[in-house]
Amino acid sequence: MFKHLFKLIWKKKKSSFLMMLEIFVSFLILFAVWTLSFYNYRNYSKPSGIDHENVWAVFINFNTDNDSLKTIYRDLVRQKLKTYAEIEAFAFTSSNMPYSFSSSNSSMKYNGRETHPEFMSVDPTYPDVLKMKLTEGRWFTEGDKVNKIKPIVITQKMKDDLFGNDNALGKIIGEKDDRKQVIGVLRHFKFENDFQAETACMLEPLNGWHTDMLVRVKPGTTVETEAKLSKAIVQLGKDWSVEIQHLDNMKANKNRIIWVPILILLIVCGFLIFNVALGLFGVLFQTISRRKQEIGVRRAIGATKSHILWHFVGETAVITTFGIILGLFFAIQFPLLNVFDLDAFTYVMGIVLAIISIYVLVIACALFPSKQASEIYPAVALHEE
Amino acid sequence: MIKLKNIEKVYRTSTIETLALNEINLEVGKGEFLSIMGPSGCGKSTLLNIMGLLDEPSKGEITVDNETIRDFSDKKLAHFRNQKLGFIFQSYHLINDLPVLDNVELPLLYRSASANERTQLATEALQKVGLSNRVKHYPTQLSGGQKQRVAIARAIVGRPEIILADEPTGNLDSAMGNEIMDILINLNKNDGTTIVMVTHDENMAKKTNRLVRLFDGTQVM
Repeated sequence: MFKHLFKLIWKKKKSSFLMMLEIFVSFLILFAVWTLSFYNYRNYSKPSGIDHENVWAVFINFNTDNDSLKTIYRDLVRQKLKTYAEIEAFAFTSSNMPYSFSSSNSSMKYNGRETHPEFMSVDPTYPDVLKMKLTEGRWFTEGDKVNKIKPIVITQKMKDDLFGNDNALGKIIGEKDDRKQVIGVLRHFKFENDFQAETACMLEPLNGWHTDMLVRVKPGTTVETEAKLSKAIVQLGKDWSVEIQHLDNMKANKNRIIWVPILILLIVCGFLIFNVALGLFGVLFQTISRRKQEIGVRRAIGATKSHILWHFVGETAVITTFGIILGLFFAIQFPLLNVFDLDAFTYVMGIVLAIISIYVLVIACALFPSKQASEIYPAVALHEE
Repeated sequence: MIKLKNIEKVYRTSTIETLALNEINLEVGKGEFLSIMGPSGCGKSTLLNIMGLLDEPSKGEITVDNETIRDFSDKKLAHFRNQKLGFIFQSYHLINDLPVLDNVELPLLYRSASANERTQLATEALQKVGLSNRVKHYPTQLSGGQKQRVAIARAIVGRPEIILADEPTGNLDSAMGNEIMDILINLNKNDGTTIVMVTHDENMAKKTNRLVRLFDGTQVM
């Protein structure tokens, strides 16, 4: 039967070509949408590695450019915050804290391997604030600050990039004057948004000039405490200013930057696919009304209603298969050429989901006209001119 | 072979009711070559469609090959048509997108026949109608007479016991018409195929065993 369908389609290759082209374009669009959606879903479903609930980001302006003064002021703030029962933990951090719009990258090399990690400078209490857990090693302490070789905690991605399957703990990276030793590894650390892929990141003890901080408060802490805290910090110095933001709001903002464009893309693609579906529907209806006599003959010589139904669905499926094969040729280049640095599995899933969607779409569009064809009365069809 | 008892066919629309066939009682014996004649619109094709189980009578009973056709499912009717009946139409009704061989194989597609078996039977059928040199041609590359011979090959490929022909020579000149008629007569005489043929041509009708005349849906002879 496949050979029979193929012969019919081959003879009508000119008219089938347009439909095939439509399927091909739809396949590529769906491939892009599914790959993007699957990539983001996969990242979203992985743990972030941090607990952002009840964490505030406190941005302090000490109104000075003097790093020594900033260090003293930071200690003043630390002393003050310790007096608050509502505060569970706090840590000073570089401005590229989770869900912020700041970023700081550097290049790190080890034995010919290179990676470009996000570079964070934080207090030793940082993991207590964000409830981060290490999979290997330990976090740095106040005592580590005096070490000539800076201790660093790295993410699993950075470990994989630089050390592969080797043990990372104790390894020293960096230039002579700025050497760093790996003392801990974090399995997950999504600091940009929930859709972030595993990223290379390294955290080292805080240096001189950073004045932003993260504060974990007890659940149920009210805005009054926030106002009280803000006021207390401002009163510690002359012309200081403070801004407090909640980490969950910052996260929602950063997430929106990712999912809103995806949603818009999905809506646009939805309309596009809807138009393709309408086109297919129309073409099939026209084809069937043009082939009524053929349907009559087939019914006369022994085709059941079901044969007719599946004949037309089958013809559409064969054209669809050709469109998909053409699309596959292009889609398969993405994992082969490692385009956009996505893993092959994501592309394969994008291809599989696009194939399923196209077949579901086409068969859904073909079913109704084909059902109509199967209901054509043979005696009537044979006498229509 | 075919027995029609009190067959009546009424076409109804919201405003009009047309009696196409009225009290038709007809028996076609095994191996008989019967022709049906009558003026246009007298119900010849309707009668043939009812005999070929392509249409249902409004009243009456049909028996084909000792089997009374009553409440048959679509599947059973299709199977019955496929196994027992072959159809030839005035306008051939070949599928122009398929080559001759594939057109002839068509009834076998709806049977559990292998591709080789289909090709062998279709080639034999085409040999029988003298078209074995046209297997790869498309219907659009053939003359009217050749097309009708392909249609005959398609009708006989499944070796049916009954062939129903609706004005098979209607679109052909007399020479071509005679050729087609000779093929049908051979099928009737040599293979014992029962043939019911609707025709407008007295000369063709005279070549058959028996003639039935219809007038305004009623059997007059």
